[in-house]
Amino acid sequence: MHHHKYRLIIPFLLPAALLYGVFVVWPYAQAIYVSLTSWRGVSANRPFVGLDNYQRLWEDDRFLEALSRNGQLLIVLPLVTIAIALTFAALFTQGGQAIRGAAFYRIVFFFPQIIPAVIVGILWSYVYTPNIGLLNGILGGVGLDGLKRSWLTDPTTVLWAIVAVAIWSSVGFYMVIFIASMQSIPTSFYEAAVLDGATRWSSFKDITLPLIWESIRTSVIYLAIAALDFFILVIVVSGGSTTMGATRAEVAALYLYNQAFDKNRWGYASAIGVVLLLLTLLLSVIIMRATRRETYQF
Amino acid sequence: MDEARIHGLIDDARSGCYSRREILKRGAALGLSAPAMAALVMGVVPVKALAQGAENPLGVDPAAPLDVVIFKGGFGDEYAINVNENLYGKLYPNAKITYAGIQRLGEQLQPRFVAGEPPDVIDNSGAGNLDNASLVAEGQLADLADLMAAPAYDTEGKTFAESLAPGSQDTGVYNGTQYLLNWALTVYGVWYNDAFMKERGYTYPKTWDEMMTLSEEIKGSGVAPWVTTGVHPQYVRQFVFDQMLWKHDPQALVNIDNLEADAWKAPAVADVLEALYMLTDKGYFLQGWEGLDHTQSQNEWLQGKAVFIPVGTWLENEMKGSIPPGFEMVVAPTPSLPGDKIPFEGILASAGEPFIVPAQGKNVQGGKEWLRLLFSKEGGRFFSENTKSLSVVQGSAEGLELGTAFASAQAALQAAGENTFIGRYQDWYKDLADEAKAQMASMLQKQASIEEFQDAVQEMADTVKDDESIPKYQREL
Repeated sequence: MHHHKYRLIIPFLLPAALLYGVFVVWPYAQAIYVSLTSWRGVSANRPFVGLDNYQRLWEDDRFLEALSRNGQLLIVLPLVTIAIALTFAALFTQGGQAIRGAAFYRIVFFFPQIIPAVIVGILWSYVYTPNIGLLNGILGGVGLDGLKRSWLTDPTTVLWAIVAVAIWSSVGFYMVIFIASMQSIPTSFYEAAVLDGATRWSSFKDITLPLIWESIRTSVIYLAIAALDFFILVIVVSGGSTTMGATRAEVAALYLYNQAFDKNRWGYASAIGVVLLLLTLLLSVIIMRATRRETYQF
Repeated sequence: MDEARIHGLIDDARSGCYSRREILKRGAALGLSAPAMAALVMGVVPVKALAQGAENPLGVDPAAPLDVVIFKGGFGDEYAINVNENLYGKLYPNAKITYAGIQRLGEQLQPRFVAGEPPDVIDNSGAGNLDNASLVAEGQLADLADLMAAPAYDTEGKTFAESLAPGSQDTGVYNGTQYLLNWALTVYGVWYNDAFMKERGYTYPKTWDEMMTLSEEIKGSGVAPWVTTGVHPQYVRQFVFDQMLWKHDPQALVNIDNLEADAWKAPAVADVLEALYMLTDKGYFLQGWEGLDHTQSQNEWLQGKAVFIPVGTWLENEMKGSIPPGFEMVVAPTPSLPGDKIPFEGILASAGEPFIVPAQGKNVQGGKEWLRLLFSKEGGRFFSENTKSLSVVQGSAEGLELGTAFASAQAALQAAGENTFIGRYQDWYKDLADEAKAQMASMLQKQASIEEFQDAVQEMADTVKDDESIPKYQREL
């Protein structure tokens, strides 16, 4: 009787499997093959060079520097974003002790999430513009002229100015995720804790955190993947892939882009892409393992 | 020529029974021209293509369709449509022209090159174009030697090459072969508002010392003497540094282009960097310049917040609509340093907007003919009137009244005479130009010393030189 089952399953599965094969598996396979060539991208000539590109990559200081920026983002982006999102979520939700106006803040803080990343980037590039930008204007207005700078070209500030944009635009999303899981915690838990003399902080630490752990874990993985990419905001906020700001905040994905589209080294760029793919997979596994905890049923 | 023998030769060439050398020998004996021979060896060209003459020096098949792709950017594309409709279309009414005016050519044309079906002629310019050095390295471009030697379309008694501004096609030569044809003549220099200068009683300084004195005076009056874009530091790197270095010691810039050992550590390089460093050390740049992109810096300049700005001749077209009434923009060469080998009038100029004829195109000779018609007095004059820019065709802009910027660029070229130049390393070795650009920004923001600049850029030059995967080029002074 089994073949009857397959007669039904296969027609349903086939279109999806076909699309997946053509648009996901095949490009991956191609990228891996191209990474073993010195393809320049302007002819069908793709000389096979074996693992040369990977070896060069290993010795390429500019790539390692770019990757180290991703490394810094990997620590800062999840930590800060989740800390802020959790704080907001707790203030607006926890155990029926939400602050006044919580509903209003929830909506307002979610706003940046509905603006496309490119628009966010362009808006903030104006905020950071030195002579007519909002940020320097405010600093000048409150007498802090000494702090005024060209945020997007100064090597000490450019990366963090862009990170701030990323955090601003994503906090709302994680806040909503945390609020949703916090709301599923029965308020009776908190009432019992208050009766036992728990402070607001200890109920957060001992009740909320363990019970929403799964959401935090997922968020860390999302943000880690974002930190390994981080291409769009750098290229848009800094004003282009070869601007001074982009050079000084160059992350691995932007380096990949420039190697392919600016320097016509498609083979090399593909090798960078493959390395980033492996790093992302590896990182996901590590985070999954490292954050595994007993889940509580309630 | 003996037509029967030519036909016999064509048949033999097609039969594939004879060696290429044998066919070439017989062709030479018949006195066939170079393009005809090339066509013959390919063995795929119709007989008509060999019908060369004064009217059709490149042996174009009058009925072959032509595929034209133009970068439609700052110059628009009316000048190209003019060639389609009023020149090529009239000379070869039976040729069907397929035309596209587009942006980001790389993304659209890359698949066509990879598939071996490129257009016949391309204006390969603008952001996101195809990398010309890569196209050359992959053998994707047709050798333009026969076009260069053909008679000019409407300049009597001159060859095509002779009818163009001297030196304007040098950057289209890769290791001795002409692959690119540059169309727009660009002058790079220091721009100022002549009305403002006259009002204050200033004259443009011819030496760097005078520039410093004048800058001090301007700064004292509450205006910034200089502004440039810190977001794209290649502006100051190329238009000021390259220009001053070339005038100080032309060989020093040639050595940089040729990746000579320690070229970036030459004393001439240090002299120029020291001069530039003064601009930042004495606070002559407009505050916040390091965060301004090119149009922002140009806007500040148009609003009178700074007096001097290094840009190219596209400036007026780029800023039209933001130019205040009474503003008289003019361009001048960089001021001279003590001991300069090139006089003050020498100016950085190059022809840009490169056109290419793909080697795998279906109508290679038609592509070349299209270029012969565009690069004519008629084509150049239309372009200048339409865009207020200079073309490389000599004498094509004579008598045109197109404002102060256009006039000053023409006058600057006239004054410079033979003394025009352009560095090549930004086209040949992008990694090197990138490093020089980044270090220039660091130095002008006092994050790197002059020596650190020289060390870092030299290190990159050595890396490029040692990298066997990067094709190398040579030039002479």
